Amino acid sequence: MKAKYILIAALVAVAMTQTSCEKVSPQGVLMAGTGVEDRVEMSELYYKQYLCDASNDIVLDDEGYTFLVGGDSHLTTDPGRMDEMFAIGLENNDLMYCHLGDIADTKAEYYIRLDSLIQEAKMRYVNKYYTRNDLGRWQRKDDPDDKIGYEYDVIKFPFYPVVGNHDLTHNGWALWSNIFNSSFYEFDVILGYDEFGQEIRDHFIFLDTASGTLGKKQVELIEKGLLDGDGMYYRHTFVFSHTNIFRPSASQFASTFAREETYFLLKQFDKWDASIVFCGHVHAWDEREYNAVYFLTLDSMSERNSPNPGDYLVRVRVSKDGDLSFEKVRMNYVAKKK
Amino acid sequence: MGKLNKIFIFLGITVAMLLSGISAMAQGYSGERFYDGEHKNVISGYVMGGSNVVTGGFGGLSGTYVRHFTPRWHLAGDAQMQFGKKLFSVDVRGGYRLPVKYGNIYFTGKIMYNYYGKFGFHEQAYNLSATWESAYVDIRIGESIIHYHSHVWGKGWGYTEPLTFTFGFGVNIRHRNNPWNLGLFIRNYDQFYYENWNINWGLRWHARVKEPWTLFGELNVRPAGSISQLASKYETSMKIGLRYKM
Repeated sequence: MKAKYILIAALVAVAMTQTSCEKVSPQGVLMAGTGVEDRVEMSELYYKQYLCDASNDIVLDDEGYTFLVGGDSHLTTDPGRMDEMFAIGLENNDLMYCHLGDIADTKAEYYIRLDSLIQEAKMRYVNKYYTRNDLGRWQRKDDPDDKIGYEYDVIKFPFYPVVGNHDLTHNGWALWSNIFNSSFYEFDVILGYDEFGQEIRDHFIFLDTASGTLGKKQVELIEKGLLDGDGMYYRHTFVFSHTNIFRPSASQFASTFAREETYFLLKQFDKWDASIVFCGHVHAWDEREYNAVYFLTLDSMSERNSPNPGDYLVRVRVSKDGDLSFEKVRMNYVAKKK
Repeated sequence: MGKLNKIFIFLGITVAMLLSGISAMAQGYSGERFYDGEHKNVISGYVMGGSNVVTGGFGGLSGTYVRHFTPRWHLAGDAQMQFGKKLFSVDVRGGYRLPVKYGNIYFTGKIMYNYYGKFGFHEQAYNLSATWESAYVDIRIGESIIHYHSHVWGKGWGYTEPLTFTFGFGVNIRHRNNPWNLGLFIRNYDQFYYENWNINWGLRWHARVKEPWTLFGELNVRPAGSISQLASKYETSMKIGLRYKM
């Protein structure tokens, strides 16, 4: 842990030479960061080494599960909304937290704050669901038969983000990848077996669309089936993308995918038989069904972009028998006046 | 059909078009002067090639016919085929020229259909625009409505994008009436698509080879993402063609 903070501090030192004094520098909007091809190349190495096997799948023995989705938190100096998202999820026993990118905003110090928030949330998570056993290791409270337990560092805090464009500037990718490693990945949630003895699997796919394109390499990897999962039958597939496909209204920014890429993605969602595609970026709510795929575009959960309390999160409920529903979740945190 | 055969067919059609004079230039952005004072009808065409992030390398052919009914009114049609993207496009456009103190203002309406065969999508676009063309500078603003749907009709749910703003800016190094010219452009559309915040830029040129022939070309850099998304590389293409005044 200490080494990780030293590394982040070193990255901060480098990044600080590139940043200005404002909370959110306009330079961060205009200056290029690490390109999508480089990100995907780096992520592919990590993905193939650590993420593409079944060990990342989540196995449940339950009648269903819920997960929480938020986006565009643009974390700066006020951690209130991110903290609230973690608290809401923990209180509701959500299986995981999915984030649609633009997590922190253009400055290195904000990523240190983000990493601290995640570590604190993990501590609360472990304290809620685990207990120390006689060996001093952490044992799940709902699995008393597991006498061995886990080392703290091995326990994964279920926070799954995609990368957004604001995560990239001012050496943001160096910081983002130091915390989250890969900008694209997938895993399964396995809910036991159905009446025919077949595993019940739901598929979660996270795409790197931060630059408004998947990039050549990611398109190739998708076409080769890298994110298709284990070749299993998937009951539900959920896709997460920072850049939106559909435009909430004429007053909002349009999708920045070029035309061929929009059609490529829509065809790919159809091929994956996606149930819901989650998008962010545009800071406005939109829900629509297209080609039998549900598209949810989330409003920004940032206290600066959305200062008033509002329904900025989405909770998805998935039952063992396949029922799927979602609800908007209210956030009440309001930034303190200075 | 083998890949080599396809290449030979593509080259054959290209050469045939160039030699037969069926080809020449695109619409009013590749160095074409909208109105040259003689309201001649124009037939033009070009060949193109490039590389796209999603489709890889591609090539294509395009043809245009413009008919000036009067010095003020014109009607035109364009068509293209792009290999690689399996893209087929046609459009009809018409416009009115309003002379002003510095140049002309063109009011143009356009109806366009694209079939993106590689992905199975049909697209229709409707555009209204006003273009001010002066000796050295041209500016276009307009609005588009774009609708698309999958060709799988059973699931082919349509989507109509809200109004999309169209804008373009071009500048030439020489007066527009010169027999050769070189210019730069920036715009969020091309002859056969309208984009949103994906802002193209590039170089355009034309040179009169011998009356009534003009050679023209264009280098087009098309990014993905808006400026706030660091405008990543998406597509680079080159066009070269001939224009014939009838």
